[in-house]
Amino acid sequence: MVDLSITVAGLKLATPLMLASGTVGYGPEYDGLIDFTRVGAIVTKTVTPRPRAGNTPPRLAETRGGMLNSIGLENVGLDGFLSEKLAEAGRLPTLVIASVAGETPDEFASLCEAVGERGETAGLELNVSCPNVKRARRPLWADPDGVAAVVTAARRATDKPLFLKLSPNAADVRSVAEAGEAAGADALVVANTLPGMRIDVTTRAPMLGNRFGGLSGPALLPVNLALVWKLSDSVGIPIVGSGGIERTEDALEYMMAGASAFQVGTALFRSPSVVDQIVDGLAKHAVTDGINCLSGYTGAAKEVETPCQRTRAD
Amino acid sequence: MLLTCRLLTQFETVEPGQFVHVDTGPERTFRRPFSVAGVTPAGEVELLIELRGGGTRALAELPVGASLTMMGPLGRGFTLVDARAAGAPSRAAESDPRAAGAAPRAAGAAPRAAVVAGGIGVAGVRLLAQRLFESGVDTSLFVGARTADALLDATLPEPDAVRVATDDGSRGFHGTVCDLFTAESVDLPGNTTVYGCGPRAMLDALAVVAGERGMACELSLEEMMACGVGACRGCVVSTVDGYRTVCKDGPVFNASVLVPEGSAMEVAGG
Ligand SMILES: Cc1cc2nc3c(=O)[nH]c(=O)nc-3n(C[C@H](O)[C@H](O)[C@H](O)COP(=O)(O)OP(=O)(O)OC[C@H]3O[C@@H](n4cnc5c(N)ncnc54)[C@H](O)[C@@H]3O)c2cc1C
Ligand SMILES: Cc1cc2nc3c(=O)[nH]c(=O)nc-3n(C[C@H](O)[C@H](O)[C@H](O)COP(=O)(O)O)c2cc1C
Ligand code: FES
Repeated sequence: MVDLSITVAGLKLATPLMLASGTVGYGPEYDGLIDFTRVGAIVTKTVTPRPRAGNTPPRLAETRGGMLNSIGLENVGLDGFLSEKLAEAGRLPTLVIASVAGETPDEFASLCEAVGERGETAGLELNVSCPNVKRARRPLWADPDGVAAVVTAARRATDKPLFLKLSPNAADVRSVAEAGEAAGADALVVANTLPGMRIDVTTRAPMLGNRFGGLSGPALLPVNLALVWKLSDSVGIPIVGSGGIERTEDALEYMMAGASAFQVGTALFRSPSVVDQIVDGLAKHAVTDGINCLSGYTGAAKEVETPCQRTRAD
Repeated sequence: MLLTCRLLTQFETVEPGQFVHVDTGPERTFRRPFSVAGVTPAGEVELLIELRGGGTRALAELPVGASLTMMGPLGRGFTLVDARAAGAPSRAAESDPRAAGAAPRAAGAAPRAAVVAGGIGVAGVRLLAQRLFESGVDTSLFVGARTADALLDATLPEPDAVRVATDDGSRGFHGTVCDLFTAESVDLPGNTTVYGCGPRAMLDALAVVAGERGMACELSLEEMMACGVGACRGCVVSTVDGYRTVCKDGPVFNASVLVPEGSAMEVAGG
């Protein structure tokens, strides 16, 4: 039996497969459709201090090789999350990582404090990367100093592991990643969606109510994969790959580029059973490759010596 | 096209108005939602599908006996009026004070139903019409389409009872199905529940007429869907309580909670 568990940022995940924020809701929506014991962690929908209505519909468009969304961070807000959704997520047989987003470092800090002190919360994901929320000045995800301030504030507010989710859209993602690491992030999630749009030629109107949305799905994979490769050379903290993963081999590409774990989002929409397919495939590959723990794949494409860290359970 | 699907795992119950979410192949990121248009005595699910784009074409090209992946039944369906409970308001109306207050009912008279469908909207009300007939509810059926060829009245349980409208006048009433309903509903009592499925503009117009007649009204809506289970918030429509998902809170909504499309009341993005 291959041990599929993996340790990232001090959290022991049953498998390296995490479910991406915004695609699984708070978890229970997929109860009965996904075997959560095979999910390393779910990342809940990004929560903001106050409830958000989200963007004007339509909010979805299909693209060849993916999709656009302009949800606009519709969520129940911190109070609704704490009083209802977090406990529901906590009842699932997997770890819960809560995604949070504020407008200022102080808002991030109070979100992290309130969510982090709850027993259901295994870790926090700092969403500094949502493309669907308009900001006045330079977007947070492109600003190393801004991100450092957010991570510093979050770090003071909680002892729980902090996952910093980056945007692939920043001109200098490396500086943002390094600033996040220096400020105390425990892991990076690489990365969120790219901005895009589509136009309906019959109505001559943008397909999304918000005009622009975030591109996810297979079309995004090569972009975010290259980022994982580059960032894993310049930061020491573990990387969680995200973008377009829908098969075992996609996940392995991210791991071989330097990721310790990975997230699946868009692929759930066509098939919630993608979780089983990917996890079964990982086990098969590991057997074929004679690898007894999956961390053996991390960075394998770089031909560097990667010591296979045995997990504590062994 | 009528697609009959034998299920490996039988649905326990299907509410009329609920839908299935169908995987039409790896070329398409999203599944495609289709109303459960019927359930055969053997428990097979019937889908009535209009060809639109790649997904529906892929289904049309499937050979007989091919296997498909779908999930369901999903969403909230129509609330059936109860023929025995004289004057009883529908469940949805009961839980919604706005609707209950708006519809004065003739005490003692058995509740009636009017089913109004435009285009492929017939698929969304076919099972409903069948259940209404089975339970003995006095039901009027109205079906519209652009042309006589596109009319789907023949797929309904009692096709002879259906009143039809075509936009080009090639069969039946010349005009929209909502105009037909407006003309013919004058004689229907106030305790008639109006059920609608079709293009959004038709449904918004129907809600106005039903409101003027003091009738309860339930409408089945369509939106582009990703997850189909309420997780992604992609399929929302504006209601008086804010955005609600078509896949989980709907697809059937009480007309009194819906904000008509394009109206100034629509929730501003933020
Ligand atoms: C709850 C629900 C129940 C439905 N029931 C039925 C049914 O019983 N029978 C039936 O034929 N159709 C039904 N539809 C509509 C059906 O889902 C779409 O026609 C189908 O998704 C089109 O897929 P496609 O790949 O063929 O077309 P695409 O190539 O995806 O699109 C072709 C055209 O259809 C429009 N479209 C795409 N998806 C939708 C959608 N979800 N709703 C409305 N328009 C859409 C597009 O904007 C485009 O103009 C239902 C939709 C919903 C939301
Ligand atoms: C409908 C939808 C909603 C999303 N909402 C969020 C969100 O609230 N917070 C966030 O950090 N990422 C959000 N994302 C981005 C995903 O978490 C993920 O990073 C991205 O979709 C790329 O992965 P994928 O190609 O596997 O989907 C969302 C994506 C989709 C498709
Ligand atoms: S399609 Fe995801 S919430 Fe309705």
